[in-house]
Amino acid sequence: MTYIARKFAHLVIAFFVLIAISALPTIVVQTDFSLTSYWNGIQQQLNQLQKLDEITYYNFTAQTDLLLLPALGPLVKESVIIFTTALAVSTTLGLLYAYYYYQSGRRVRTVLHQTSQTLEMVPDLFWLIFSQFLAISIHRATGFDRIEVAGGFAEYIRFLPIVTLTLTTMFFFIKWLTIHIHEQEAIPYLELAQAKGIRPGGLFWKHLLPNIIYRFYLFFRSNIITILSTLLIVEYLFNVQGLFRFAVYNPQMEILLVILFVIYIPIFLLDLFIEWIIPNAWKGGI
Amino acid sequence: MRRVLMRDPIFIFCFVIVAGLLLMSVGNTVFRDGNVDQTLMLYSDEGRLIGIPPLEPSKYQWLGTDNAGYDLFQMLVEGFKWTVSICAIVALGRVVIGLFIGIPLAFRGARLNGFFKTILDGFLILPISLLALMMLAATLIFGDPTQITPLFERVKLELIVLIMLGLPAVTLYLITEIRQLLQQEFMIVAQTLGGGVWHRVRLHLLPHLIPTLVIVFMQQFVQTLMLLIHLSLFGIFFGGTVILYEGVMPTVYEWSSMFGYYFKQFTAMTWMTNHLFLIPAIALAALIFIFNLLTSRLERAFRLRRQEPVVTEMNVAQSEAAAASLDNPFSLVDVKVSLKNGSDDL
Repeated sequence: MTYIARKFAHLVIAFFVLIAISALPTIVVQTDFSLTSYWNGIQQQLNQLQKLDEITYYNFTAQTDLLLLPALGPLVKESVIIFTTALAVSTTLGLLYAYYYYQSGRRVRTVLHQTSQTLEMVPDLFWLIFSQFLAISIHRATGFDRIEVAGGFAEYIRFLPIVTLTLTTMFFFIKWLTIHIHEQEAIPYLELAQAKGIRPGGLFWKHLLPNIIYRFYLFFRSNIITILSTLLIVEYLFNVQGLFRFAVYNPQMEILLVILFVIYIPIFLLDLFIEWIIPNAWKGGI
Repeated sequence: MRRVLMRDPIFIFCFVIVAGLLLMSVGNTVFRDGNVDQTLMLYSDEGRLIGIPPLEPSKYQWLGTDNAGYDLFQMLVEGFKWTVSICAIVALGRVVIGLFIGIPLAFRGARLNGFFKTILDGFLILPISLLALMMLAATLIFGDPTQITPLFERVKLELIVLIMLGLPAVTLYLITEIRQLLQQEFMIVAQTLGGGVWHRVRLHLLPHLIPTLVIVFMQQFVQTLMLLIHLSLFGIFFGGTVILYEGVMPTVYEWSSMFGYYFKQFTAMTWMTNHLFLIPAIALAALIFIFNLLTSRLERAFRLRRQEPVVTEMNVAQSEAAAASLDNPFSLVDVKVSLKNGSDDL
């Protein structure tokens, strides 16, 4: 009961914080900061909460104001498809890499580590440009035109956005996993399990992974802003009809408020689900 | 640690590139008044017109010219100091303010910190560039060139916004780091012996926190650069954007603004042959890569420094040998302990 009350309080506080964040654009007046204007902005957002279904946006194609909430569905769907696919692929590839790294010898490890470390330093911007460059080069050389380099009004582009988001996220995960494999190897439980005759596969998947999986989630959770920032720029540059691109083209406070809720609530629910599903022993408890 | 860095060829290589570019950039301002060569028409030795801007990279213009005929290499050199200064100011501002907020909070109880974390949680889900776009668009986009506010006002406003938006994440990170340090044995001993908060911070906490602060500074530097790039792609150049009949134009030619400016032009041209867009893009990617590399080498140097207490093994061995010695149990014995030095590159 205490847990539910605590989480509910957390959600209520977070809602007020999100309202305060969404009103931040009003704090800048000309080239100064105005707290009065910010306070008015917060009040305006609180009033807006009572009539969320009345929020409109200007549709350039229709040349008219349209209701926001019905229009938001397809945009959210597109962003969610790209985000979750990239996340699932990068997590799977990251874990497979971690397993290969764990059972490799010293020399292979050094090569893998230095390669992944170097690739991790490459900014997402480079992957974006490079993937488009590659797609155009392939098209020029072979005439293969199935890879879209930019979306249109009614054209969905998914392959390249997913690839670029996967790449940046995967290297991000690989760095963390490599560090934590080293950390876990220094703890004697793996040595004990090895002495009992457990094979490397069993050591990794049954012993090492459960010990780091919760921390891996916490790492993902605290760095989700980085992944979302990459998603924002991916959507913008590839012209994806997604939530973030929509926000860039419609920079209104009330739209920002709705988008904040749309992002925060699923993450909050995911937090609850992870807390519930992961056993206490995996979290370091007994 | 300095010794480790001085012997690290990768660190020295990156440092020389950054320092060299910075010197060239400052030199261009001091000795050439920040001028950039402009080639409106290119003639051959026989006096024949052989090219008009944008000129392709050649031995005369190493990186080619833009549509107005300005030498791109010289523009990159001239803009480098602004880009580095902006990122350094923002990163330093975030670290210093984060430290001032983080230290007092870290000394408080876990409940207050938990509450603080809950409050800042909302900031950790929204891309900063989106919020910065909404906060700055109304102030920094000028439809009429005669209405442009003074540069100092615009730069001050933008720097404050960029610092403040990154502050929650930095503060939370510093609080976690400080709280971890406070749980270390030496901090508990310092407290038990009666050390005041200021004494503990000055003599014990800060020396151990400096490596973390350097790394955080470097990370924030790169994050600020990425934020500037995102904003420039959205049409918000650093220092303001002027909307002209021909399109948007930056008021300060630093690297991220150049990238955004040329990005807006490239869409009308052929993708592959457009050096205008590719050169700033590659330059920015290389700059981020170099700063990431510098951060990684610094992390390595700090890690090696942290491994130095391994020497205490020798001290332990010396103490044990001294304790077993009947001659003088209170003086250390010279013991050679073979210390395992693992691969440092991992």
